[in-house]
Amino acid sequence: MAKGYLALVLHAHLPYVRHPEYAFSLEERWFYEAVSECYIPLIWTFEKLLQDRVPFQVTLSLSPTLLSMLTDPFLQERYVRHLEKLIELGEKEVRRTRGTPFAVPAGMYLERYRNAHHTFCHRYHRNLVSAFRGFHATGAVEVITSAATHGYLPLMMLHPEAVHAQISVGVDVYRRHFGKKPPGMWLPECGYVHNLDRILAEEGIKYFFTDTHGVLFASHRPRFGVYAPIYCPSGVAAFGRDAESSKQVWSAQEGYPGDFDYREYYRDIGFDLDYDYIKDYVHPNGLRVHTGYKYYRITGKGRHKEPYVPEWADGKAVNHAGNFMFNRQHQIRYLAKFMDRPPLVVAPYDAELFGHWWFEGPRWLEVLARKIAFEQDELELITPGHYLQRHRCNQVATPCDSSWGKGGYNEVWLSDKNDWIYRHLHWAAEKMIELAERFPDAEGDLRRALNQAARELLLAQASDWAFIMSTGTMVDYAIRRTKQHLVNFKGLWHQINENRIEPFWVSELENRNNVFPDIDYRVYSPR
Amino acid sequence: MTATVWAAVAILLVLSVALFLWIRTDRTRRRVATRPQISFDEEFAQEISPEPLQQPSEFVCELPRRYGQDRLALLVRDPGWLFAYWEVSATRLEAIRSSPKWRNARPVLRLYNVTGVDFNGHNALSFVDVPITPDATSWHIEVNQPNCSFCVDLGRLAPNGEFFTILRSNIVTTPRAALSDRIDEEWMWIEGIYRSIVKAETGVSSVLIVEELGRKAAEIPGVSSATLIQDRGEV
Repeated sequence: MAKGYLALVLHAHLPYVRHPEYAFSLEERWFYEAVSECYIPLIWTFEKLLQDRVPFQVTLSLSPTLLSMLTDPFLQERYVRHLEKLIELGEKEVRRTRGTPFAVPAGMYLERYRNAHHTFCHRYHRNLVSAFRGFHATGAVEVITSAATHGYLPLMMLHPEAVHAQISVGVDVYRRHFGKKPPGMWLPECGYVHNLDRILAEEGIKYFFTDTHGVLFASHRPRFGVYAPIYCPSGVAAFGRDAESSKQVWSAQEGYPGDFDYREYYRDIGFDLDYDYIKDYVHPNGLRVHTGYKYYRITGKGRHKEPYVPEWADGKAVNHAGNFMFNRQHQIRYLAKFMDRPPLVVAPYDAELFGHWWFEGPRWLEVLARKIAFEQDELELITPGHYLQRHRCNQVATPCDSSWGKGGYNEVWLSDKNDWIYRHLHWAAEKMIELAERFPDAEGDLRRALNQAARELLLAQASDWAFIMSTGTMVDYAIRRTKQHLVNFKGLWHQINENRIEPFWVSELENRNNVFPDIDYRVYSPR
Repeated sequence: MTATVWAAVAILLVLSVALFLWIRTDRTRRRVATRPQISFDEEFAQEISPEPLQQPSEFVCELPRRYGQDRLALLVRDPGWLFAYWEVSATRLEAIRSSPKWRNARPVLRLYNVTGVDFNGHNALSFVDVPITPDATSWHIEVNQPNCSFCVDLGRLAPNGEFFTILRSNIVTTPRAALSDRIDEEWMWIEGIYRSIVKAETGVSSVLIVEELGRKAAEIPGVSSATLIQDRGEV
């Protein structure tokens, strides 16, 4: 039996960015880039491990908005076209770079995009959720989900029904894709607030994650710090993040992703090459964007960059996987001295870090899983679900209100840049709850209008908008999305109240903001 | 023979027109192209987010300034700060303005510390008045008291010290900012078959906790995407 456990947790989420009204949408590209650079490479990683019969355990959270986008036929079609353009560009690039040091990376990308095309179109028939369903069925990847639109729950608690709707819709979307309730839930931004666990318990959720201080500063001092979960009084388990393992991967200064041999994210031919050459692959209005063809390695702290050498980067990924494992072994050996059970190190990351920003991340993950499986026996990979099956008796304490955002609490989502949204969000939540109470069994157009009002409210609540306003890129888009969904909600509320629903307008909104087609507005009914 | 010459002339003509048009469109495109002027040495791309400058700005309906209700909501930002926003309905405002005793009264937020109290308006542990501007509809309030409960009244403070409440908020509790002092332990067997209370031997993990705290002070909490970008931007 292993001396200790490592729980790797990847949280994959993107806000709902589907814009049929534009021929070219920068925000939709977030989704395409994440699919090509992160989700498909992670699928390859899991496929390789399963194919080679490597015993491993990873937890993967797929947010409900991401699940919805991955299964949306319109976005699937557009993604295929996006990929075809990338392949076309790659073919040109291979010809252009022949005989230069960039020929190797150019060829590498072309092959990757061709493989991505094959994986997407032919192996999974455009539905990547089916890939994750397959992994989940093997027991190696524990797929969980998050709140419906990744709403930041601590600032929604004035209306517990609204929080319940976020959780319940998330659970429902998951059930439609995976056939059963999610075993655990990723709280958006790890945002925990008092009594949230009770709502999770009602929905059958067994566990969630908090930042380090969420468990460490619990109501009763946890005997094992963050190296064992605690049970909330409701019986839901809270797993606290290990700060050390996080930092090794997250920190750009001291972490692995800043290694000089790794690929430089910021140099992309979309910016580097002549406009005339690249114009068909960037924004039609002339705005240069990332294409994904990035030929340099980080090289050093300065601006001078050298060509990327895949073998060197691969060697580093192998080294870093070994180093990570070594550090965890060391950590576990130390911790085990103080504990009556094997220590558990919980290492959660944004999935989009892997492959997109840290290009070699999926490879690192693969090597790490292999090394842990075959090169040692002190450390074992585990998922929270399996941990709780093995260790059923845990300390009881109420976690501390917290998040994994800057500052550790609600500051990122409640600053002078975004505090104005809450009076509107709270008003809308209050009105939605009133509507659900007033119309316990609506039919026809009224029902459609009520369901669409619920969708608009959920979309307005996405934590992403407040986050973007706080961090300062694409602020206009975030403000526009927040306002638009709230204005739509208010319009629907007026029409419902004044008994003058315009079915055409409701249809238009249903088409434009078509997330969660099976939503039932009664999820907001007072409980 | 002449037919071939004519054909050749026609083809030439078409070609030159095409060339002319092509050059023109190319020029216009180029003009568009030079607009962004981004030097790649200076670009700071973000995680999965393209650069600003979206499609031509789209018409966005504005949100209402008021909803016509009386409401004072209190939210927690962190152990040190609260945030309150409010709206006073027109009828309420009218009533306030017509009353003579409100004249010369200053607008304030009265912040009550109601930790461990079933608050009824008179039994707060302590209170402090935060002066606000007359037209404010929200305020960030510094409290610097982790693990304490608060309630806020929006009101007016008369020169004679009398306080009139207009609206009262919900009650909030600031989060803890340190390890709990409570070291008694309860353990739970999840199926509920077995439930035991084990009195603690304390300090078992104090080494770890001290280490954790040390680390937190240095870098964490919240190595989320935001911090990552900032770190990276400085490289």
